[in-house]
Amino acid sequence: MSPLAERLVADLRARPRHFAELVEAHTGVAWRDFLRAWGEVRGLEALGRDEQGRYVIAAPAG
Amino acid sequence: MKQGFRDALRVLEDAGELRRIKKAVDPRHFSALAAQAKEATFFEAIEGYPSWRAAGALVSTRKRLALAMGCSEADIARRFEDGIRRPVDARLVSDGPCQEVVWQGDAVDLTAIPLPLMHVKDGGPYISATMVVSKDPEYGRNVGSYRLMYRTPRETGIDLVSSSDMRRYYQRALDAGRPLEIAVAVGVHPYEMLAASYKAPIDVDEYAIAGGLHGAPVDLVRCRTVDLEVPADAELVLEGELLPIGWTADEGPFGEFSHITGDVKWNPIFRVKCITHRRDPIFYMLQMPWENDWLAAPVIEAAGLQALRIASVEPVAIRAPVGGCCYWTLIASIRKRPGEGKNALLALLSVAEVKLAIVTDDDINIYDPDELDWAMTFRIQADHDVLIIPGARGKHIDPSVRAWSLGKGGLPTTAKLGIDATIPEGVPREQYERLRYFAKDAVRLEDYL
Repeated sequence: MSPLAERLVADLRARPRHFAELVEAHTGVAWRDFLRAWGEVRGLEALGRDEQGRYVIAAPAG
Repeated sequence: MKQGFRDALRVLEDAGELRRIKKAVDPRHFSALAAQAKEATFFEAIEGYPSWRAAGALVSTRKRLALAMGCSEADIARRFEDGIRRPVDARLVSDGPCQEVVWQGDAVDLTAIPLPLMHVKDGGPYISATMVVSKDPEYGRNVGSYRLMYRTPRETGIDLVSSSDMRRYYQRALDAGRPLEIAVAVGVHPYEMLAASYKAPIDVDEYAIAGGLHGAPVDLVRCRTVDLEVPADAELVLEGELLPIGWTADEGPFGEFSHITGDVKWNPIFRVKCITHRRDPIFYMLQMPWENDWLAAPVIEAAGLQALRIASVEPVAIRAPVGGCCYWTLIASIRKRPGEGKNALLALLSVAEVKLAIVTDDDINIYDPDELDWAMTFRIQADHDVLIIPGARGKHIDPSVRAWSLGKGGLPTTAKLGIDATIPEGVPREQYERLRYFAKDAVRLEDYL
C-alpha cells in the first residue's frame, strides 16, 4: 500500500469522514495520485459507511 | 446534418453563452467554478491532465437549452415532441473519432481522466454526463443516463436504484448469473442526452429518438470489447460490464437534481474493460442540479402536453419551472371549455411524480411570475379550485415523503396538489378586463424627454 493510502486509512480510523474531508486533508496531493490511493483503500475491502454517509473503516485493513 | 458535442459548444459561444477559462484548473474545482459563471464553462487547461479539456453547465438555463435545441424557450416541449414523433434510425459506421485512442488491458485507468469532485458530501468523484447503452437478448438495445461514482482505476459505482429498462436488463442478467455488458458515452450532443433521459417504451430505440431530434441519423460505431454501439462522435467511451453482484455496493451520496444531497445507496459495480476517446478529448461534466433539471424539462413538459391532449384539453403553453426542479411542478395555460380547468389538473397530475399543477387561461403568460400570481389571486376560490389527491406515487429524494421511515425497499407516496387558476364558471370574462391607459397609442415618452 502506498504511503498516501496508509494515511487515508489512518484518517478514517481516527474518525468517520466524507470523501471531500479526506481530499481537504491532503490538498497538496496531485488529484490523480489521490485517486490512485483511494483506489488502493477501496481495494482493501475494509470501507463502510456511517448513518450520515461518511466513510469508516468497517473491517480490519492493511 | 447531425450536430455533435462540439457543435453545441460552438452554438453557445456564438451566442455569448460560453465562458472560456484559460488558466489551468484542478478537476476538484470544476464544479465550484462552473457554479460561479453565468455562462457555460470551458476549461482549456487542466492541472495534471495535459491532453484533456473539459466543459460543464452547457444547458444550465432554459435559454441555453433552447439554444442547443435551436428553438425558442417557449417551444422546447414541442420541439422535443416533434423529435419523438419522427424517429430516425441510427446508422452503423466503420469508425469514428471516439475511438482515435484506445486503452485496453493494463492501460485501463480511470484516474487518467479528469474526474471532477462536485459536492462536499459526494461519495467520490462522479461522471455525471453519461449516455449508457445496454442490450437484452429479448428486448434489444436500451440507452439511458446513470451517474457513475469513481471507486478504483477500473471500477465505478452506478446508480441503478430507480425503475428503468436497464435495471430490468440487469435484473434479468443477474437472474441468469451473468454480468450485463454496458458502454458509457460521455460528451455527446444535448439531443442524445435528452433521448437518454426520456423514458421511451422498451421497444423504442433512444438513438432513433436522438436522430428524430437531429433530423438526421446518429452515426454509431461498434465497441471494441462489448457487443454494443456508441455515438461515433462522442468524446469518451467506457466499455465494460455490471458485475452480477446485485445491489450490494455502496454508492453516493450525490448532489441530486432536487438540489439536495441524497443518501448512500446500494448498487451494482461497473468494471471497465476498455476506454476509448478522441485524440484531443473534452470531458463533459453535467453540472448539478441545474443541468440535470433542464434536461428533464422538455421531457416532462412534452408528457404534460400529451396528457392534456389525451384528456381532450387544448394546451396553449406549458412550463416545468426550475423551482420544482423541472420535474415536480407543471404550469399550463389552456383554451378552456367549462370544467376543463379541473380536467387539465387531473391530466397534469398523472404525469410521472408531478405533485403540483397549476392551470390558467390562455390570456395569462405563464412565463411571467407576476401574471401567474395575479391569476392565482383573482381566479381562485380555495374551496372550489384546489384539488388534493392523497396517496399517489412519490419519489424518495423528496424529503417531505419521509422515505427514511419506510425501511429498505419501501416505496413512498405523496399528496398531489392542483390549482385551477382559470376564470371560474359563471364569472363573465369581462370581469377580468385589464386596465388600459387613455391615449396609450397617441403619445410617445421619447417625444417628451
